[in-house]
Amino acid sequence: MEQHITPFPLPKTGKISLVVAPKGVRHSLMSMLAALALRGRVIVVDGGNCFDGYTLARELRRQTHHVQAALKQIWLSRAFTCYQMVAMLAELPRDGTPIIILDMLSTFLDENVNFSKRQRLLENSLGLLRRLSEHAPVAVWARTRTTAAEENEQLLTPLLSTAHDIWELETPTLPEHQLPLF
Amino acid sequence: MLEFAGWLLDLFEDPREGLVLYFIDESGARHRLTRHFPVTFYALGSDAELRALWQHLNRRPTEISLSRTQRMDVFKRQSVTALGITVQNPYEARKVFSQTAAEFPHLEYADADLHIALRFAAETGAFPLAHCQVMADETGQLKEIDVLEDAWTLKPTPIPLRTMTLAPDVPPHHARPHYLNISMEGNQYQLSLQTWRPLLVNLRALIQRHDPDVLLTDYGDTWLLPKLLQQSEKHHIPLGLNREAGRGVAWHEERTYFSYGQIVFRGQQIHLFGRCHIDRQNAVLWKDYELDGTIEVSRVTSLPLQTSSRVSPGTGISSIEMLTALREGILVPWQKQQAEMLKPAADLFTADQGGLVYQPQIGVHKNVAEIDFVSLYPAIMVHFNISPETILTQPDTDNIVPALGLAIDTSQDGLIPKALRPLLEKRVEMKKHLACTPHWDPFRKNFKRRASALKWLLVTCFGYLGYKNARFGRIEAHQAVTAYGREALLRAKEAAEDMGYKVIQLYVDGLWVQHPDNTQPKDINPLLLEIQERTGLPISLDGIYRWVVFVGSRQNKQRPVANRYFGVFQDGSIKVRGIDARRCDSTPFVAETQMHLLELLASKENPETALPDAVAYLQKRIRALHQGDIGLSELLVRQRLGRKLEAYRTPSPAARAVMQLKAAGKDLRPGQRVPFLYTLGKPGVFAWDRPQKPNPRSVDVARYQRLLLRAAGIVLEAWGLDEETLTEKVHTDLSQLSLPIPPKQHPGKHRRNIPGVVNPAVNRALKG
Amino acid sequence: MGRTLPSATQLMLNEEASLARFRRALRRSDQLAFDDLFTAAQKHISAAAYAAHALPFETFLMAMLLEEHKEVTRLRKIIEALQEMHA
Repeated sequence: MEQHITPFPLPKTGKISLVVAPKGVRHSLMSMLAALALRGRVIVVDGGNCFDGYTLARELRRQTHHVQAALKQIWLSRAFTCYQMVAMLAELPRDGTPIIILDMLSTFLDENVNFSKRQRLLENSLGLLRRLSEHAPVAVWARTRTTAAEENEQLLTPLLSTAHDIWELETPTLPEHQLPLF
Repeated sequence: MLEFAGWLLDLFEDPREGLVLYFIDESGARHRLTRHFPVTFYALGSDAELRALWQHLNRRPTEISLSRTQRMDVFKRQSVTALGITVQNPYEARKVFSQTAAEFPHLEYADADLHIALRFAAETGAFPLAHCQVMADETGQLKEIDVLEDAWTLKPTPIPLRTMTLAPDVPPHHARPHYLNISMEGNQYQLSLQTWRPLLVNLRALIQRHDPDVLLTDYGDTWLLPKLLQQSEKHHIPLGLNREAGRGVAWHEERTYFSYGQIVFRGQQIHLFGRCHIDRQNAVLWKDYELDGTIEVSRVTSLPLQTSSRVSPGTGISSIEMLTALREGILVPWQKQQAEMLKPAADLFTADQGGLVYQPQIGVHKNVAEIDFVSLYPAIMVHFNISPETILTQPDTDNIVPALGLAIDTSQDGLIPKALRPLLEKRVEMKKHLACTPHWDPFRKNFKRRASALKWLLVTCFGYLGYKNARFGRIEAHQAVTAYGREALLRAKEAAEDMGYKVIQLYVDGLWVQHPDNTQPKDINPLLLEIQERTGLPISLDGIYRWVVFVGSRQNKQRPVANRYFGVFQDGSIKVRGIDARRCDSTPFVAETQMHLLELLASKENPETALPDAVAYLQKRIRALHQGDIGLSELLVRQRLGRKLEAYRTPSPAARAVMQLKAAGKDLRPGQRVPFLYTLGKPGVFAWDRPQKPNPRSVDVARYQRLLLRAAGIVLEAWGLDEETLTEKVHTDLSQLSLPIPPKQHPGKHRRNIPGVVNPAVNRALKG
Repeated sequence: MGRTLPSATQLMLNEEASLARFRRALRRSDQLAFDDLFTAAQKHISAAAYAAHALPFETFLMAMLLEEHKEVTRLRKIIEALQEMHA
C-alpha cells in the first residue's frame, strides 16, 4: 500500500512543533522518527496506542541494514490514561534527547474523568512540555477526529497556543485501487 | 449481652450509627447490630501542600482526626509520607473525601473509595456470609466477631438463607406480564398484576410473614421493583422491601462498558438494606453459577451479596487485591499514575503479544489427548511472583523473564501473588474434590457452581493486570505473564515431541497431542510429569478424544482457526468450541440440530456408521422447518448491538431489529442483545419484543435452511458430507415431498477468483 | 490495555493486500497459486508471531518456502516409490 508521505522537517531544540492531522499521518511521522533514530536516541510517548512499529521498521530498512540497532535507539512509553500521560512527561529525562508525542489528546478524551479535571491535567502536561522543549526538540501530533470532535477541538486550543510551529494536514485522498472506466 | 453463632448477611454505612450489620443466627433469629467504625483515607503530596490541607481540614466541623504517617507505596517500592484523614462516621467519609479531592485536586489520594465491607473484612477478618461467633452489648453494639470458617474453607456450613422468588409470568420487555409468580419455602403464589392494591397488600403480608433474607427476582432491577415501588407510593401501601426501617432503596444507574473487546450492557440496579435483592436477569454469570456461585464470589471477594451478584469478575479480583493491600498496610491508589517505563522500541515486538496459538491441522484426528495447564496465568503469577512491584528493569538477577528485558524480584512475595495464592489453591482443591465426587452426590452441583465462580475470577485476574485503570495493574507485569505462558507452552511442546508425541494443536494453556501407543489416561502420566518438571507449573489431562475435528475459518475453509473444534472423549462426552452449537448468538433450532448431529456421531464407536441417521435427521428437521412445525421462539437469533444506532452506515440485522423496537418506543443500548426473526422481504427481520405478533408465514425459511445446512456441513464435512452435498440431499428429499424448494445457493467457493476481486478478508484489510 | 502492534494474522493480510496490484495482473491460474502460497504461510502464523520479527514478510516468505519444501519432499517420496514399483 503506497501512502503519501509528508516530509516533516526535524524538530529543533527550544521549539514545540505541532502536527494537527488525521490518523493517516502516522506513516509520515514514522518516517520522521526513522530519520531521527538514525542520528541517535529518540523518546516516543504514545498517547493513542498507535506506535506503528512495522511501518517504522520498513522505513528504517530503506535507509539502513541495521534495523534492530536503530530500533534500540527509540525509547518508547505508552500512556493509556491522562494521569499516566502527565506522570510520563514529568519523568522524562532532560538530556537533550528529542521527544515525539503521538496522539497526545487521546487519553484526555476519557469520559470517565470529568472535563475540568482533564483540562487541568492537560495544562500540567503543556507546562511540562514547555520545560522539556528548553532542553530538547519536541514534536507533538494532535489527531483530528470526527467522533468527539467538539471536545477534541476544546482540548486542542491550549495545545495550539503552546506550539511554535504548526502543521495542519487534511485527510489525504488515496488513489483508487481500480480506475473507473466510465 | 447477646452472644450467638451465625452468618453476616449484609453491612452498610449509616448516618447516625456508623456501621449497621445484619446477621442470621444459627437459631433462626435475625439480628441488627451496629458498630462505631471510623475510616481513614490518605493524601499524598509535598509537605507544603499537605500542611495546607491539614489547616483546611482542622477547620471542618465534622469529627476528623489527622495524623502524619508513613505508608507503603507499592509502585515506588518504599514508604512514603502521607496525611492520614480519619473520619469517625464512615457515612460522612465519602462526603469528606469528595470535597477534599475537589478542593485539593493536585494531591494524590489513597484508600479513598473502598467498599465498607472490604474495610470491615480487613479490620476484623469477617467477610459477608462468613460463619462467625458474635458478641454484642445490650444496646446492640457489636463487641466481638470471630470468624469460624474462613473464605477458603472447602465445605462451609450451609447458610439457612430464606429466599423469596418473585418473577413476572413473561419477560416484561417482550410482552405485558399478567401475573407475579412468588415462591417461598416450597409454597407457590400467583398474584394478578392487573389489580395493584390486592397485589401490594398480599405481597406485604408475605414479606412480613416469611421475612426473607434474599429477594430473588426476574427483572427486579429494571422492571419489577421500580414498578412495585411506584405503585406502593401511589396506593400508600409500604411494602417493607428493606429490613432496615427508615431507609429508601438504593438505585444504581445503568451502564455500558467495554470488556475484553466486547461491549457489555448492565441495567440499572436496586439494592436493599438488611435484605438482599438479586435480579437473576441482571446478575453476572447467573446461568453459569447461580446463587451458590454468587455466594462463593461474595465470600472470597468480601463484597456483599447484592454487590457480588452484579459486579464483573474484574471488580471481584480488584476487591481481593485491595483487601490484601489493606491488610498489608499498602496504599490503594485512588487514581493510578504509573505509566509504562521507557523501553527500546525493539522490545515491543516481543512484548506486545498474547498467548501462543497454533493453527491446527483441519480434519479428523483420532486418539488425541488434551492436556491443560491448571489456571495457567494465575499459576504463573503465583509461581514466578509477578506483581507490579516485583518487576525489575535491571535484568541482572537470576529471574529474567524469557525474551523480555525484565527480571523479577523473588526476595519477597508480591502483592498479587499474595492475593491470588489462596484463590488458586482453593480452585485446585475443588477440582480435585470434584474429580472424585460421584455424580449422584447432592453437593456436586453446589461444588461445580462454586468452582465455576472461582474459575471466572481466576480467568479475569490476568487481564486485570493489564487493565489501564486497575489499581495494581502494570503493563510490564502483564507482558511478563504472557511471556512465561509462551515459554511454558513451548517447553511442553518440546517435552511431548521428545517423548514421541505428535503435536496437533497448541492453544494458550493447552495442548492436543497424539501418540501411536499411548491412548489411555494412565499412558499420559509420564508426559505430564515431564512437563511439570520442565515448566514448574501444574498440568492435567482433560481427557482423551476418540476423535476430534478442527474446522477452518468461516471465510475460508482452508484456513485453520485456533479455537473452532468439536470432539468426543473416550467416555462419550462431547466438547464443542466456536461452532454454532456453542455460540450464544445462534438460533436454538440450528444449535440444537447441530448438537444432535454431534450426539449421533458420538453414539457410535465408528462415527461413519452414524452418517445415514444424521442425514435422515437433518432432512427431518428441514421438513419440519418447511411445514412450519418449528416454534418461532426456536428460530430466534440473539445478536448484540455493537454500537449506537446512529453509528451504522449499513445497519446489521440486529440494528434493523433495534430500529423496529425504537419505532415502537423501546430503546436498546449498545451491548444489549436483541432477539429477532429473519423474515421475508424488507427489512428482513422481525424484532421479537415488538408489541405485534410475528406472522409465522413471513419467516425466511430459505435463510434458516441455509444456516442449518452450513452448521450441519461444519460437523459432517470431515466425513465427506459438506454443505453442498447436504444441500443436494435435502433438495432431493424436498422434491419428493413436493415442498417448495428455495432457490439454490452454492457456498461462495469460486468467488475469490474473480479478476480484480481479492478474497473478502483481504478486501477488508484494503478498505481498513 | 489494547495491543499496540497488529497481530501476525493482520500483518499477513496487510502484506497480501500490499500485493493486490501484483495479484490482479496475474493470470487466473497464477492467482490461484498466489493464494495457495499465502494459505500455506498461514499455517505458520503462530511461529511468525512468536518470532516477532520487525520485518515480518521475511518470516512469511520462510513459511511459504517451508511448505513448498515439505511438498517437494512428499512428491519426491511418491516418485521414488513409483520408480521402485516399476523397476
